[in-house]
Amino acid sequence: MKLKTYILTRILLSIPMILIILTIVFFVLRVLPGNPVLAMLGPKAPPEIIHAMEHQMGLDKPIIVQYFIYLSHIAVGNFGTSTYTSLPVLQELVQKFPATFELTFYSMIIAVSIGIFFGSYAAYNFGKPADILARVYSIFVYSFPVFWFGIMLQLIFGVWLHWLPVSGRSSPFMIPNHIYTGIYSIDALLNGQFDIFVDAVRHLILPSVTLGVVISSIFVRMVRSNVLLALSSQYVIAARARGESERKILFKHALKNAMPPILTIMGLQFALLLAGAILTETTFSWPGIGNYLITRISYRDFPAIQGAIVFFAFFVAFISILVDIINAWIDPRIRY
Amino acid sequence: MDTNIEIKNLSIEYRMRNGTVHAVRDADFSVDKKETLSIVGESGCGKSTTGHAILKLLPSNARATGSIIYNGKNILTMSNNEIRQIRGKHISIVFQDPMTSLDPIMRVKDHFFELIKAHDSKVNEQEMIEIASCALEASGVSAKRLNNYPFEFSGGMRQRVMIALAIALQPSVIVADEPTTSLDVVVQEQIMEVLKNLKRTKDMSIILITHDLGIVAEVADKVAVMYAGEIVEYADIYNLYKNPLHPYTQLLLKSVPNIKIGDMELHNIPGSLPDLKNIPQGCRFRDRCPMVKDICKKETPPIIDKDGRKVRCWLYG
Ligand SMILES: Nc1ncnc2c1ncn2[C@@H]1O[C@H](COP(=O)(O)OP(=O)(O)O)[C@@H](O)[C@H]1O
Ligand code: SF4
Ligand SMILES: [Mg+2]
Repeated sequence: MKLKTYILTRILLSIPMILIILTIVFFVLRVLPGNPVLAMLGPKAPPEIIHAMEHQMGLDKPIIVQYFIYLSHIAVGNFGTSTYTSLPVLQELVQKFPATFELTFYSMIIAVSIGIFFGSYAAYNFGKPADILARVYSIFVYSFPVFWFGIMLQLIFGVWLHWLPVSGRSSPFMIPNHIYTGIYSIDALLNGQFDIFVDAVRHLILPSVTLGVVISSIFVRMVRSNVLLALSSQYVIAARARGESERKILFKHALKNAMPPILTIMGLQFALLLAGAILTETTFSWPGIGNYLITRISYRDFPAIQGAIVFFAFFVAFISILVDIINAWIDPRIRY
Repeated sequence: MDTNIEIKNLSIEYRMRNGTVHAVRDADFSVDKKETLSIVGESGCGKSTTGHAILKLLPSNARATGSIIYNGKNILTMSNNEIRQIRGKHISIVFQDPMTSLDPIMRVKDHFFELIKAHDSKVNEQEMIEIASCALEASGVSAKRLNNYPFEFSGGMRQRVMIALAIALQPSVIVADEPTTSLDVVVQEQIMEVLKNLKRTKDMSIILITHDLGIVAEVADKVAVMYAGEIVEYADIYNLYKNPLHPYTQLLLKSVPNIKIGDMELHNIPGSLPDLKNIPQGCRFRDRCPMVKDICKKETPPIIDKDGRKVRCWLYG
C-alpha cells in the first residue's frame, strides 16, 4: 500500500470514531442537570414564554429528532447560536482557537524536547545518575497539579521577581497590526513588529512552561522506557557489530524505532494535554477555548459548551490521524 | 599456518544482583587463516559469551579477563573507537536469530550503507550498491531486493542478508553464532551450503558456534568442545571423531548415533550442568562422569597436552 492510500483509509476510518464522539457529547449534555431555557430566561419566567423558547430552539421535538438535526447541523459547520452572546458558536470558537493552539503548541514543544532529550539521555545512561535524576524528575513533576504549579510560577517569576507577566496573552495595545493566523507570536513576526513579538513570547512563557513541564513528566518516562527497549534489541547489537558509533545507534536505530510507540502514546495523551490547557488557561486568564468553555459552563450556555467539546474532540481526532500518518511514514510495516 | 586470532586465558563473568555467573573460564584457542573452528557445547555453556567477546560486544555487566589477540593487539583492552574500526570490517558476526537482527524500519540497502560508511565515509552510493549486491548474490539473495524492508523476507532469507552483511567488507574472521538454530531443517541445510561455499571461495577464518554435531562434522577443521564454561577438549576434527579423549566428548559421540541431527544434550545421562553462579570444587563434569576419580572431586583438572591435542581431564594427567 502506498502512503497516500494509507492516509485516505485512515481518514475514512476516523469517521465512525467522530460519529461516536458526537453522539456521546450530545447525549451526555442532555442528561446533565440544568435547563438552558431556564438559564436564559431566569427561574421566574412564565410557562408560555418558556414553551415558546423551547419550541424556537427545537427542544420540544423528540430527542432522536433533535439528535439528527444536531448531526446534520454539525455536518455543515453549524454549531448553533450562543444563548449568552447570540453569536454563532463556530465564529466564537474560531476566534478563540488560535490562543489555545499557540499555548498547546509551545507547551508541546517544551514537553517533547524535555521528553526526548532527557528520556533518551537517561536510557543511554541507564542506571547512572542521569537516569536516576530522570526517574525522580518524572515521578516528582507528574504529581504537580497544573494550577498549583502555574500559581507557583506566577508567584516566583511574576509577583516576586517581576520578570514575566502572569495573565493574558498580550499587554494592552500590544496586538499585532494585521492578524493573519491569530497566533500572536507568528503574526507579530509577519508584520515585523518585534516589540509585539517579544511581548507575546513573554506572555507565553509561564503558561506554556507550566503545561509543558507537567506533561513532560509522562514523556520523559515514555521515551526512556521505549528507548531502553530499543537499545536492548538485537538489531542494536547487530548495528554495533557493524562498527556503527554509539551516537548514531542511539539516534538512527534506538530513538527512531522508539518513535512510533512514543508518538502513539503522545497522541493518546493529547486529550490530557487539552485538559491541562483548560486548567492552564483559567490559571493564566488565557483567552482560549478552555477559558471560553469554563465561562460558558457557568452561564449554562449549552450550544457553546457543546460546540467547545465537539471542537476539542475534533482536535483530538485530528491529532490521532496525524500521529498514525507519521508512524506509517516512519515504520513501513504499518503502511503495508 | 598463520594465526589469525588467538584467545588466551579468557575468563568472563556476568555480575548480577544475586551473584556472579562464571560463564567462561580460562579458555584457550586460536584460529588460523582460512581455518574453520567450531565451538560446540550444550545450551548455556558459554559459547555465545565467547563469540561476543571476540567483537567486544558483551553487555555492561560482563567482565572479561585474559586476552584476545588480533593483529598483535588485545581486543579486550581496545578503546571504543579502536574496536569500532575492527567490527564489521575485520571481524564480523552472524547472530542466532535473524528475525530480530535487522532493524525493522531500515531497508536492506541502508544496513549495507551503514556498514560501509562506518568504515569509509568517502565511498559513493554507486560503489556501495555494488559492494552490497556482490555480497548479497554471494549469499544467495538477489540484488534486486536491496530496496526491500526486513519484514518482506523469510527467516532464511534474513539470515542470508545477515551473512551478506558479515562478508561485505571481506573480513578476515567471521563469527557465526548458531546461524541455523532458529531456522527449519530445510533452510538450515541451505544456510550451511552458503557457509560451506564461503569457506571454499573466500579467504577468511570462520568461528562456527553450534550445538549441532552434524554441522561440526560438515564444515569444521578444528573443534573446541565446551562444558559449563570450560573448553574440555580441543582437537582437529579427524582426531576428535576418531578418538575422543574427554569423557564428555566420548559420551556425546556415543549417545548420538546419527550425528547429522544430533544436539549436544546428554538426555540419557543423569545430572545436569552445574550452577554457573556456584561452581563446586573439582571437575565441572564430575557429577555426570562415568570415569570419575577421587581427585576429580577435590581439584580442578588442568589443561593437558596429549599428542598435540588439549584435554581438561585427570585421566590424562
Ligand atoms: N547478559 C547476561 N547476564 C547474565 N548472565 C548471562 C548473560 N548472558 C548469558 N548469561 C549466562 O551465561 C551463561 C552462558 O551463556 P551463553 O554464552 O549465552 O551460552 P550458550 O551460547 O552456550 O548457550 C549462561 O548461564 C547464561 O545464563
Ligand atoms: S576430570 Fe575426572 S570427572 Fe572430570 S571428566 Fe575427567 S575423569 Fe571425569
Ligand atoms: Mg548462544
